[in-house]
Amino acid sequence: MFFNLIREWLQAPFVNYRLFHNFTRQDFFSQFTASMGGVLWLFLTPIVHLVIYSFVFSYIFKMRAPPEFGEINFVIFLMIGYLPWFAFADAFGRAPNLVIEKAPLITKVVFPVQIIPITGTVIPYLTHVIGFTIFLVYLTFKGYLSVSWILLPFIFGLQFLFTLGLVAVISALCVFLRDLQQMIALMLTIWFFLTPIIYPISLIQSESVQRLFLLNPMHSFISAYREIILLGTVSPVHLMIIVPISIISYVSGGWLFMRIKHAFGDVL
Amino acid sequence: MSKLPRITVENLNKEYRIYERPQDRLIELISRKPKHSLFNVLTDISFAVAEGKSLGIIGNNGAGKSTLLKILVGTLQPTTGNITVQGQVAALLELGAGFHPEFSGRRNIFLNAALLGVSDENIAEMEKGIIEFSGLGDFIDRPVKTYSSGMYVRLAFSIATMVQPDILVIDEALSVGDMAFQKKCVQRMNKFRDDEKTMVFCSHSMFHIQELCDTAIWLHEGRIIEIGDSDKVVADYEDFCNSSKSYNNIREDVPEGIENRKQSAQETEVQDCKINTISVQTLDGEEVTKVVPLSTLVLKMEVEVLVDNMEGHFGFAFMRSSEEPLATFLTQNFEGINRGPFQKGEILSITLVVDSVAMRIGEFYVLGGLADKSGLLWYESKFSKQLTVATNKGVGAIIMKSAWTVEQN
Repeated sequence: MFFNLIREWLQAPFVNYRLFHNFTRQDFFSQFTASMGGVLWLFLTPIVHLVIYSFVFSYIFKMRAPPEFGEINFVIFLMIGYLPWFAFADAFGRAPNLVIEKAPLITKVVFPVQIIPITGTVIPYLTHVIGFTIFLVYLTFKGYLSVSWILLPFIFGLQFLFTLGLVAVISALCVFLRDLQQMIALMLTIWFFLTPIIYPISLIQSESVQRLFLLNPMHSFISAYREIILLGTVSPVHLMIIVPISIISYVSGGWLFMRIKHAFGDVL
Repeated sequence: MSKLPRITVENLNKEYRIYERPQDRLIELISRKPKHSLFNVLTDISFAVAEGKSLGIIGNNGAGKSTLLKILVGTLQPTTGNITVQGQVAALLELGAGFHPEFSGRRNIFLNAALLGVSDENIAEMEKGIIEFSGLGDFIDRPVKTYSSGMYVRLAFSIATMVQPDILVIDEALSVGDMAFQKKCVQRMNKFRDDEKTMVFCSHSMFHIQELCDTAIWLHEGRIIEIGDSDKVVADYEDFCNSSKSYNNIREDVPEGIENRKQSAQETEVQDCKINTISVQTLDGEEVTKVVPLSTLVLKMEVEVLVDNMEGHFGFAFMRSSEEPLATFLTQNFEGINRGPFQKGEILSITLVVDSVAMRIGEFYVLGGLADKSGLLWYESKFSKQLTVATNKGVGAIIMKSAWTVEQN
């Protein structure tokens, strides 16, 4: 039973490729069809955020990138952390509504519901991988390219799996506990500030508090990106965190979703 | 040779847990102390549908029809009991579920068919047929949100039936859409039956159930009251509705001319009378199903009086459908007709002779009814069997009694 559910979950996008493909295409493009700005909003939002954060932290607070990363602009340091975070936050923030939004479909049509959290995570990642890639291309012109960059898609993929697991759990639980919607929005804000994105972790004086941050997998993801891109290496401690946590999140999140998806019809 | 059952349902029960407050659900999860009250939607349902057969489900609102269909389709899980469904199922539970309002009809064909599990290549093949059948024309490339509800239905129905599933499940689909499309749907569904496919559908249109279904199930408050030959079940159900004065669809659709007079019909608690039979005959007293234009029809109904001192009016109407009257005949327009008072137990025979029937084409029904003294309270009404106009020469919807003269001066 347990393994059947897991297998069904792992196979979902491949077995139901047509549906997955159509769903993704539909939701991806429906982001733009109704608005005049269309694709523009996709780039405008992160750019505006970056400009604001750069202004506040780089100009007002005079934040500097930590010396171990060499002589770099703080904005670049910020962006390497911020762009992958934005993909995560986008998926995470939309998770509560994913299944609820599709209520008419779920109650009226039989289809593999597990496609919903998968599509819901793929779309923000797909969207933001575009921005991230553009940014990376810009960095190669600045001369940062190194062999270890081949690790980037791998880390990004793990981050996707990590997110997917969480999205599956949240989207399923929100069907039963609508209050989660508000909690998730709040959690996201807290999580953002507890992740060293707009500040370097080295700003924290106490060693033990710094170590406490290792409990936050997003910190490890972002540190891994920074080390790979700027230094061409990655500390094993971060890899040792993100590899297992991603797999655990993906599998257990999927399992939980598959376990309770049958009850959706009764509540929606 | 008997066919394998496509659908088997055994001792199916469905109960909903009703929580007074949403947090009770959580408290129950954590404390494991039951915090809900149970509501039985379906109780002990068992039936089987063989391949190539079709099943109709009838019953009042809230009888559990839709829940049963949802369980058949698989969007709801039964609480207890077994259910086996063999073959690919296409369901029209809510028309246009899965349509994305911002996208064109054409894009939605692909999305919807993907939901039903059809590959893109096959959809491309079917696309033309779907568009043609739906009759949407140029609208197919406009966003679905601009469609009228009729167009919505047409597209959804076209997709669901074009996919050629083994089992088609439809919930009230035919109630929307114009007559022309309804007719197309019925044809399509008949063809479906000829192709040995299995159909399950629920409807308030007794006519459609009789026409399209071999067997019917009558559900009442979640239990099967009767299961069997659709004609028989429908007849019994209609009887039940008429006698219990429950508010079924046909009664809701009393002809427009008398619409305003039946508003308070549901308020009467005591039943005043009951229409036992209604029939359409020739002058010789033969029952008619084919009507010859310009012939004379005798409309008869037998009414049983159930209270003392009942007074009332009588009426007949020719109906194109349950909503569309062609002609009405009411006694309140005439003097010198016996309006009672009638006493309990009396049987009244009401006869109306109609000279030279003007309908030249089509099918219609006769509706008989009784109203109170004021003519405002509509006690009872009942539909006859369907009548068809016999084929004849000419064009146009009606025919008139006429005489020719050609004089050469």
